[in-house]
Amino acid sequence: MLNKAKQSHLRYLAIIPLLLLLNGCAKHSIWWIFNPKGVGAKASYDYMMIDVAVMLAIVGVTAILIVWFMWKYQKGKNRGTYDGKWEHSRKLEVAFWGIPIVAVAFLSWAVAIHGSFAVNPYNPTIITKHMKPKGDPIQVDVIATDWQWLFIYPQFHNMAVANELVVPAHTPVFFKLTSTAVTTDFFVPQLLGMIDVMPGMRTKDALESNNLGTYQGIAADYCGAGTSWMLFKTKVVSMADFKQWADGVENSPNTMNYAAFNRFAEPYINVKDKTPVYGHVEHGLFNHLLLEVMDGKKWPLPMFMTENMFHCLKLQASEHRA
Amino acid sequence: MSSSHDKPVDPNQVVLWSDDYEGHDVISTRTFGFWMYILSDGMLFATLFAAYGVLSYSHSYYTGPTPAQFVAPWYTFIQTMALFLSVLAYGFSMASLKTGSKAGVINGIIASMVLGIVFVGLDIHDVLRMISIGVTPEVSGGLSAFYALTQVHAAHIFVGLIWMLVMLYQILRKGFTEDVVGRLISLRMFWQFQAVMWVFIYVFVYLWGYMS
Amino acid sequence: MLVNVPGPWSPLLGRLALSEIPYTNPILAPLFVVIVLAGIALVAAITYYGKWGYLWKEWFTTVDHKKLGVMYIILGLVMLFRGFIDGLMMRTQQMLAVGPGDNGMKAMGAIHGYLTPFHFGQVYSAHGLIMILLAATPLLVGIMNIIVPLQIGARDMAYPYLNALGLWITAAAVFLIMISLFVGDFSHNGWFGYAPIFELAYSPGVGVDYWIWTLELVALGTTLGSINFLATVVKMRAPGMTWSRLPIFTWSAVSANIIALTSFPCLQVALALVGADRYLGTHFFTAGFGGNLMLYTNLFWLWGHPEVYFVILPAFGMISEIIPAFSEKPIFGYTAMVLATFAIAGVSWIVWLHHFFTMGMGPYVSTEFSIATMLVGIPTGVKVFNWAATMYKGRLTFSAAMLWAIGALFLLLIGGLTGMMLSIPAVNYMVHNSVFVVAHFHMMLLCIVYAVFGAVIFWFPKVFGFKLHEAWGKIMFWLFSAGTFLVFFPMFMLGFMGETRRLDWPFDPHWAVWFDVQEIGIAVYVLSVLAFLWMIYVSIRDRAHHRVGADAWGTSRSLEWLTDSPVPFYNYAMVPHINARDEAAWRREHGFSESRPDHFAAIHMPNNTGVAVYIGALTFVIGFGLTWRIWWLTVAALILTVLIMIYRSGKGDPGYVISAEEMEKLDRQSRQNMSDGQQHLPKGGGYTGGTVTAYSAAASDQRPQGTPPGNSRPLS
Repeated sequence: MLNKAKQSHLRYLAIIPLLLLLNGCAKHSIWWIFNPKGVGAKASYDYMMIDVAVMLAIVGVTAILIVWFMWKYQKGKNRGTYDGKWEHSRKLEVAFWGIPIVAVAFLSWAVAIHGSFAVNPYNPTIITKHMKPKGDPIQVDVIATDWQWLFIYPQFHNMAVANELVVPAHTPVFFKLTSTAVTTDFFVPQLLGMIDVMPGMRTKDALESNNLGTYQGIAADYCGAGTSWMLFKTKVVSMADFKQWADGVENSPNTMNYAAFNRFAEPYINVKDKTPVYGHVEHGLFNHLLLEVMDGKKWPLPMFMTENMFHCLKLQASEHRA
Repeated sequence: MSSSHDKPVDPNQVVLWSDDYEGHDVISTRTFGFWMYILSDGMLFATLFAAYGVLSYSHSYYTGPTPAQFVAPWYTFIQTMALFLSVLAYGFSMASLKTGSKAGVINGIIASMVLGIVFVGLDIHDVLRMISIGVTPEVSGGLSAFYALTQVHAAHIFVGLIWMLVMLYQILRKGFTEDVVGRLISLRMFWQFQAVMWVFIYVFVYLWGYMS
Repeated sequence: MLVNVPGPWSPLLGRLALSEIPYTNPILAPLFVVIVLAGIALVAAITYYGKWGYLWKEWFTTVDHKKLGVMYIILGLVMLFRGFIDGLMMRTQQMLAVGPGDNGMKAMGAIHGYLTPFHFGQVYSAHGLIMILLAATPLLVGIMNIIVPLQIGARDMAYPYLNALGLWITAAAVFLIMISLFVGDFSHNGWFGYAPIFELAYSPGVGVDYWIWTLELVALGTTLGSINFLATVVKMRAPGMTWSRLPIFTWSAVSANIIALTSFPCLQVALALVGADRYLGTHFFTAGFGGNLMLYTNLFWLWGHPEVYFVILPAFGMISEIIPAFSEKPIFGYTAMVLATFAIAGVSWIVWLHHFFTMGMGPYVSTEFSIATMLVGIPTGVKVFNWAATMYKGRLTFSAAMLWAIGALFLLLIGGLTGMMLSIPAVNYMVHNSVFVVAHFHMMLLCIVYAVFGAVIFWFPKVFGFKLHEAWGKIMFWLFSAGTFLVFFPMFMLGFMGETRRLDWPFDPHWAVWFDVQEIGIAVYVLSVLAFLWMIYVSIRDRAHHRVGADAWGTSRSLEWLTDSPVPFYNYAMVPHINARDEAAWRREHGFSESRPDHFAAIHMPNNTGVAVYIGALTFVIGFGLTWRIWWLTVAALILTVLIMIYRSGKGDPGYVISAEEMEKLDRQSRQNMSDGQQHLPKGGGYTGGTVTAYSAAASDQRPQGTPPGNSRPLS
């Protein structure tokens, strides 16, 4: 039949992506989840593989069995014996409950419990346990606005950079995160898992990478019209390069006090991918912001802001922010 | 059941169609369904209690007043008594239903209604008092939750009062038909359930709030 | 107390103004014209053929569970299509928008693709809400509505009027979300909403209000329905239908409705509190003033996860009916199946946190919810094994319904595999909020859709008396499956590439090829929709060739296959006495399948009523009034609703009685209908009259007491 034939062709199609997958693993990767470059992301990847292996063993066998039954017991083919009364078997029922119970028990112990502690964003043992610091851990305060990121380095003269994160390799980096207006999610697929960033609250995350490179950071949770543009590159550089970079930023004449931050936090879609740096931001900005938001400070959205993106960008330009 | 499939069947003995199926008992079906409604209403209150629980930390009251500063447990105790007596009166009314005394049922419901109105009146007075001293739901998350829980309960009482009014009319108009009796039983469950919810509210919101 | 809204407000029209109607939008304006024209054509056609009376008497005012079920299913299918169109728009946007550079359509105001973020957000929010609550839920409720009373040998649901009320309130929700297309906007914050972005400051339009009241209405309708189902199964079972003989589908309906009954109030409260924040200026979910935005997420998913099982359990029940029928065997491990169903239902209450592991609640809490989530895998695994064992030693017929059921099984396997990945926090951190999650839950929801299509094909002959066209059903299955593969395999892959969800502009050009493949998949889906419509058309055209008897498939098992096809309005002329778990199979095996009752008794049936339609319409008005803050309209509609309810309560419904002689005649007629090769549309019972039920037969109708109404056509 025509439709059957079509389906079998589709099966061939299915192979193509798998080839792409293998291909992708070899070169510079677009398969971010399969190519973790951070310690935490790598741990998550390993746990995923254990889980998939165990589950695939069960699911795969079940699928094969179902297909085999479909072939063997098709009516009119007389490949198998029909027994219309067979509806119970104690042995099988014990196995049917037993197999998933054993699998879930194993996964709970090996993956759920261990994994939850290993990559716990607040205190990832995978990083803290094996901390062999070639320098002190770096602290970065992350502030998400509508719709930009501000990364503050308190240990480096309170310098800050927007929409770009630079961290040294082989060094644990600890983040404190908050948001000005709405909830979003901090995510660098190849380096660290997601953590919510919420207004009036402080969350934490940690990162350590031993692979130099530039990785894409994403605002992973919908936070309004500018979500798609709320991107940041994460550069993992050597400690020497980092120091040099930090020196450059610290000496930037551009500074940010709370009033300037207030302006920065107004809704802004970073279409041009700008990454301004600030040699110094006001001390305690992070905590000040937290308290302000808890006191009801808002950066409200103009009505119909992005009904027309061109109007929106024109508006931004007229405010000399584009 | 495999056993019943395997058993030999005597075609002359087997019962295929039931003669004695009289449909269902209207009142019992109605009451069961109303129990189900009570269950969902209980979940509604449980969710509101959960919200209240989450929003009753000291920081939830922001810089505004905490319940200790504005609740009046003795005043609310009068409300409690009014509601309890109302349930009691409704109980008397239901006792009269068993003897078929129309006057008894009506008197009981009227007494229950009056006490219910007292409850709602006291509640409205209390809300006005609190608003007059600046305790409004806009002040803080904690007060929002306080008002949500207490006023959703008051709304239930209000609906119950309308229901009683309708029942009075129906009793006078129709007497004790199956529908009317079923509704009176459902109303009893509703009224008692609201009283039970009030106990929780009184303890957890008013007493606890006063003491903490 | 009511907070000020941004923009103009007038006492008469609230926030409503001509500028709220997007008549300049190049997509919506033509669509509006098309819909208006189609609506006029439909109304004109109905008027021309003089069918208003028929529709009103036989369908709109009916309290017959089968007709209500059919209307639920039609509603669900229409919304499934609407949701699919939303999906098509999303796929097209991402395909067009992907990659760097300005590739947008200036005329639409978009710098990437053809939709602005503002519109894209509305499209996916509507897609999610519609698919889960206004497509899947009505489809499942509709099928439960038709099948559950038949499977337990009842004449109708416990509360036929409440049943109609549930339908019309759901329909009100549908109208509300549909009108948001053309009047104002819909919410752009996703179907589950985020705190605090849905607060007035960050969503100043009416979109979120539409979202709140649509959800509230559908929640109300579903809660009413769940009370009805539970009362029906507990109180209305035929003699001999013990709990251990209850068909699996009915068991799954029981468990699903326990979930619905207990969980929907959480949704209602959560959304009412959002409404309070937006309308009254309270601070439940605000970031400041002591509000707690995480509370919303908890309350919502406290409902949200049970809701997931509310929709999946009936689907499991359908699979459990279809596979035995086409394997010619009883279900393997009946008791285990029932236990597994309730285990899933029970666990559904303790897993909600896995929807937001990324909120950072610490490893102890995460682990607890992770393990609880994995526990779901145990009974689900048992179910899959049992279905496989049911096929083992069977005689499998791969009819269209069976193909859909087996397809659902495979989707469940993929969904289960990926679900077990997501249940682990360590893994979840990497793929949460990515399209991997989207692909996962589409596997599960498509499992439901597959089961629903299987169930529609399986039970269609029971309701209408003829089978759907088998070959076209299979063609549709393969097209649909090809579409599923082409859309969702790439979506899994994109998830592994780290694409997060809800991107109106997917920034990475590497993703482009996958979006193209998905778009092809969408095109194949379109073909499957056409195949579905063609299947319906061909089946109705050739219905005389596909007439069936009581046991449409010849291998059916449960009670509903005993009664005639189409099912007469009274379901069973005499209530059957149940002797075995699979009563139809038992009677077939013991040679009683041709047995019909030899004597009859008078039966009591409920009357039709228009009240449910009026209350449904009024709830729509209330929702619309609240959305646009037209207070006088809201209050007036609310008061009117209460008055109508009181009025109806005063009238009551004594129903009507069909005498034993009449029943005998009807039964003979029904049997003749089955064998005469003609098509007879299901006929209604119940008298219909004017505003409220004309419950006095003599008053509204000159027919003698006991004449089944709806049979105004001669009984030939």
